Amino acid sequence: MMLDEQQLQKLLRLKQFEQPPPGYFESTLVEFHRRQRQELLRRPALQIWFERLISGLWSFRVPTYAYGAAFGAFLVAATIVGSGVWAPYTETAETASGPVRVASSPRGLELSSYRLALSGDVDWSKFDRSSVSPRVVPVLRPSQTALPRYVLDGTPVSYEASFSF
Amino acid sequence: MDDQNLPDDETLVRLTQNGDTRAFDHLWHKYSPRIYSLIYNMTANHEDANDLLLEVFAKAYRSINGFRGKSSFYTWIHAIAVNMTINFVKKRGRRFQLSLDDLDANVQNDKEFIDLTAANTPVREVDLAELQHRLNEAMMKLSVEHRAVVTMFDIQGMAHAEIAKILGIPEATVRSRLFYAHRQLQNYLEEFRKK
Repeated sequence: MMLDEQQLQKLLRLKQFEQPPPGYFESTLVEFHRRQRQELLRRPALQIWFERLISGLWSFRVPTYAYGAAFGAFLVAATIVGSGVWAPYTETAETASGPVRVASSPRGLELSSYRLALSGDVDWSKFDRSSVSPRVVPVLRPSQTALPRYVLDGTPVSYEASFSF
Repeated sequence: MDDQNLPDDETLVRLTQNGDTRAFDHLWHKYSPRIYSLIYNMTANHEDANDLLLEVFAKAYRSINGFRGKSSFYTWIHAIAVNMTINFVKKRGRRFQLSLDDLDANVQNDKEFIDLTAANTPVREVDLAELQHRLNEAMMKLSVEHRAVVTMFDIQGMAHAEIAKILGIPEATVRSRLFYAHRQLQNYLEEFRKK
């Protein structure tokens, strides 16, 4: 006679009586604590720190409101930059002092402007680098050194637009 | 703190996450017998079960900050135990020793044991130690995945849905694995009876 399904299940259930000797789990807990301490002493501090960091990252949850706040901040920044209220490369007193220093006399200004505008061959010796701020590179950007109205109008020191003539 | 005044698992986990090691000791007391039984019945070796039990709890302790409570702690630690044991058994290969063949004395008073041995069943014809030995042998002939399902369902009395959650498989797969495993065990034990 073959074991039927029910008998087999009863037989298997008997395996729950296969237990370790009494006191086993208490002594194993002591062993667990001992291993934990050993592991802590064995591992370098950097590894422990790294594991905590990774664990922290896994458990880190971005709050829902953070998405809204980030989008709001983006909108404000986009509005400010887009409306022209603030532009990172506008002519400030500091950057403006660069070309003015170089061309402190009308003749010098004329010369440097023509050179910059027509040939692009900049005479770097005319720049006083120590007095010019580290923003010397933005000062010499093509958009600022080759203003077309200096060339076409022939009046490099004038800041009036060409259509006013 | 006795068992009745023990906080629930969620509280114990939160306390452990906040660095209270005694809270984790309570979790140990609560779950180590079940986890031990699970591992033992999958490995059939006391020394391996002992080492794995310690490793499972060490891993749970290290990872507890990542436990988000999407499942119960019970399911979570069972999943760790099953996965670690399956990996261990696969690495170990087919080598195994049956080491814990002593049934608890309480079994003599168990209703199912009395039913099995009193009735006219194949079980009656063999002594208990031999039967247990054969059953363990038969269990070890199953694949480790099938053994896990049999251990959780038949020995630990878990529901299909719970096993499916622990193993991360559909309930239908749990049922089919059980069906197949029972057939296999019946065949192995039948062969033994004929000898």
